[in-house]
Amino acid sequence: MIELKDLTKRYGTVLAVNRINLSISPGEIFGFIGPNGAGKTTTIKMMGGILRPTAGTVIIDEIDMALEPEKVKQRIGFIPDRPFLYEKLTGMEFMRFTADLFGMGDGLFRERAENVLKMFSLQDWSGELIEAYSHGMKQRLVISAALLHDPRIIIVDEPMVGLDPAGIRMIKGLFRRLAAAGTTIFMSTHTLEVAEDVCDRIGIIHLGSLIAMGTMADLKHMASRKDANLEELFLKLTEEESFTS
Amino acid sequence: MREILILLKPRFWSFRNSFSASGIREKKLKFLFFGAIGLAFWVGIFAIFYRVLTYFQGTEAFGDILAYKLLSMTLITFFSLLLFSSILTALSKLYLSKDLALVHSMPVRTEKIFLARWFESALDSSWMVLIYSLPVFLSYGIVFKAGPVFYGTVIFNLVPFCLIASSLSTLVVLAVAGLLPAGRLRGILAILAGVLFIILVIAFRIMRPERLVNPAAFSSVMLYVQALETPGSPLLPTTWMMDSLRAALSGSVTGSLFHAALSWSFSLTLIFTTMGLSGTIYLKGLSRAQSVPGRLFAFRRLMKSGRLRIFNFLPGPVRAITVKEIRTFLRDQTQWPQLFLILALVAIYLYNFYVLPVDKSMIKMEYLQNILSFLNMGLSTFVLAALSARFVFPAVSNEGPAFWIVRSSPVPIGVFLWIKFYIFLIPLLILTETLTVASNLLLHVTPFMMALSVITVFFMVPAIVAMGIGLGAAYPDFQSENPAQSATSLGGLIYMTLCAGLIGAVIVLEAGPAYTIFMAGVRSKSIAPFQWVWISLAFAVVPVICALAVILPMRWGEKKLNLDQS
Repeated sequence: MIELKDLTKRYGTVLAVNRINLSISPGEIFGFIGPNGAGKTTTIKMMGGILRPTAGTVIIDEIDMALEPEKVKQRIGFIPDRPFLYEKLTGMEFMRFTADLFGMGDGLFRERAENVLKMFSLQDWSGELIEAYSHGMKQRLVISAALLHDPRIIIVDEPMVGLDPAGIRMIKGLFRRLAAAGTTIFMSTHTLEVAEDVCDRIGIIHLGSLIAMGTMADLKHMASRKDANLEELFLKLTEEESFTS
Repeated sequence: MREILILLKPRFWSFRNSFSASGIREKKLKFLFFGAIGLAFWVGIFAIFYRVLTYFQGTEAFGDILAYKLLSMTLITFFSLLLFSSILTALSKLYLSKDLALVHSMPVRTEKIFLARWFESALDSSWMVLIYSLPVFLSYGIVFKAGPVFYGTVIFNLVPFCLIASSLSTLVVLAVAGLLPAGRLRGILAILAGVLFIILVIAFRIMRPERLVNPAAFSSVMLYVQALETPGSPLLPTTWMMDSLRAALSGSVTGSLFHAALSWSFSLTLIFTTMGLSGTIYLKGLSRAQSVPGRLFAFRRLMKSGRLRIFNFLPGPVRAITVKEIRTFLRDQTQWPQLFLILALVAIYLYNFYVLPVDKSMIKMEYLQNILSFLNMGLSTFVLAALSARFVFPAVSNEGPAFWIVRSSPVPIGVFLWIKFYIFLIPLLILTETLTVASNLLLHVTPFMMALSVITVFFMVPAIVAMGIGLGAAYPDFQSENPAQSATSLGGLIYMTLCAGLIGAVIVLEAGPAYTIFMAGVRSKSIAPFQWVWISLAFAVVPVICALAVILPMRWGEKKLNLDQS
């Protein structure tokens, strides 16, 4: 469902992402973890069609992002790390705006929007201007809008930032349900417990390169630490890589 | 004092770093461009005041009275400007700045933070008035042949003058921010400022000051001069400064110092009062400012169904962006005064044509009417270019950090730009055509000139709008807190220059052919075949240039915005 081939991004002389190759199957939840400045957000932005790669390709649902970006974006629900929104729109108006951009019909919109907003406990706030929302509410609104057009792929950068424990729990449950229904989820996160808890496979990016990838069992095997949790594995693998590089 | 200086350091360092950071060439260009405009304005003020004062000096009976009355009115104007600008700056510095949370979390007493902020606000709100008041005083000094005492008195009076305005405004802000959330207060003040300015402009225009040059009205001016001698209220700071300057001009140093001392003592009293009150009420207002301001006016009826229904016929993405633009514009209260201002300027523009004394001119009336109509084409498109610089050029930057929504949506950047183009084209085309037709009707121009103006404007409006969108996309600033300011960026300058070039080119192309056709009509002569060829060619080039001005900037903007992804 998602395929990255030699994906590379350079900012001038800085190599932010270095030839990343990975393939994610339909219905899989893929966790993307790495230290600050490792290249997670750059990779995610390239996958969302917000940033152009210097080299390599992003193929989503067998369509090349560089060739047919609009077709690919139609299939994606993109959730950025910082919920910058149009502050002068109400929550419901923002949902309508998103629906119109994605070409959703009127018949579908109202019911779906109300359901999604209800799911994220935003129904009572849907008539309020976004500028009055808290950070967590904005984050929930961005997620609601991303789910509105029923995307086949969700690309999400730091979904848990700003959410309360109930919100985190709800998102974890939602991702599991969506994946079970066939939605592919690519999730970058710093919250390692969440990654360990919900992801089928995890990729670790460090200094722009994918240094490890696999299930929790695979990662434990790679780090030769059978009883370690993801935090310990992450620290060990990134430290080893820093040492060797 | 040490803490206050530390609190002021970020401001100083940011200013210093702005000259060492990247984009220095663009900043230098901007500095030179605006410096030249500022200098021209400064010299202009000096020239006007010098000319007027010299003229007044020539009228023996009441020359000095008029000069002093003019000075008194100028001081009142400066003081009003200082008061209003201080209110807005103090509100922003004390309650709305983004760094307030950081500053108040530091181990510094609130009074110290207040003092540092007040000082910054006083400086920010006064420097421009100070600079542009200098040519006024300089012209008085030269015309009245004043010595160094006068110039010293000016400086000695200007400092307390600014401090009084700033302290009074800060007291007002402190009092009102204790009652209303600062965010809402800003919206209300912005609207009030706009309305006040418009009333002043319209009132001044309707007074028709040009009639004063008409000798027929001289007897009423004599009556007016008697009223001029009435002194100002002794309780006003402007009167103290006026009296001090008047004494200095007539050579009385003691009198001058006495009135200046009134200003100084009042300003110091006000500063101490403000500082004293700040300890008790500043924090209260600051806490209130953290609350959500809510909507000033809710267009609930208009937008009840969740969108503006009249746009339902449009395709999804077009409707989404159109409705979003209209909503965000209407809900941003800082935009409203500018809308009112546009309406007022349009009214004044048309009023000017209405009162134009074309019949009193020595040039043949029909000829003059049509010349004016031709110039009006250029003038109305210049008005359009200025409006576009304010509203169309920042249209892409207005998306701000939320631009990721458009980038991640299945709408190509090109389509997004064309939607923006049409959103602005329709209202601006209606506005410019209305201006052109209405002013032509007031001038009673020939049908040929009417048709020429309407058709030319019809071609030029899309070109000016497209250049605004295209160049705005080529020079976007998504991080700016106030995207409207992007009109003063390098891109904005290029845009205005290109607009001026386009308008100039069209006017030059059409001037000759239009004159030939018009004069042939007036003299009832026929036009030679070779002239027809020349006329046809000139008129044919205009739509070609305009079409190129639509297509090229839009393509360039799209290309640059797409390259921004790289």
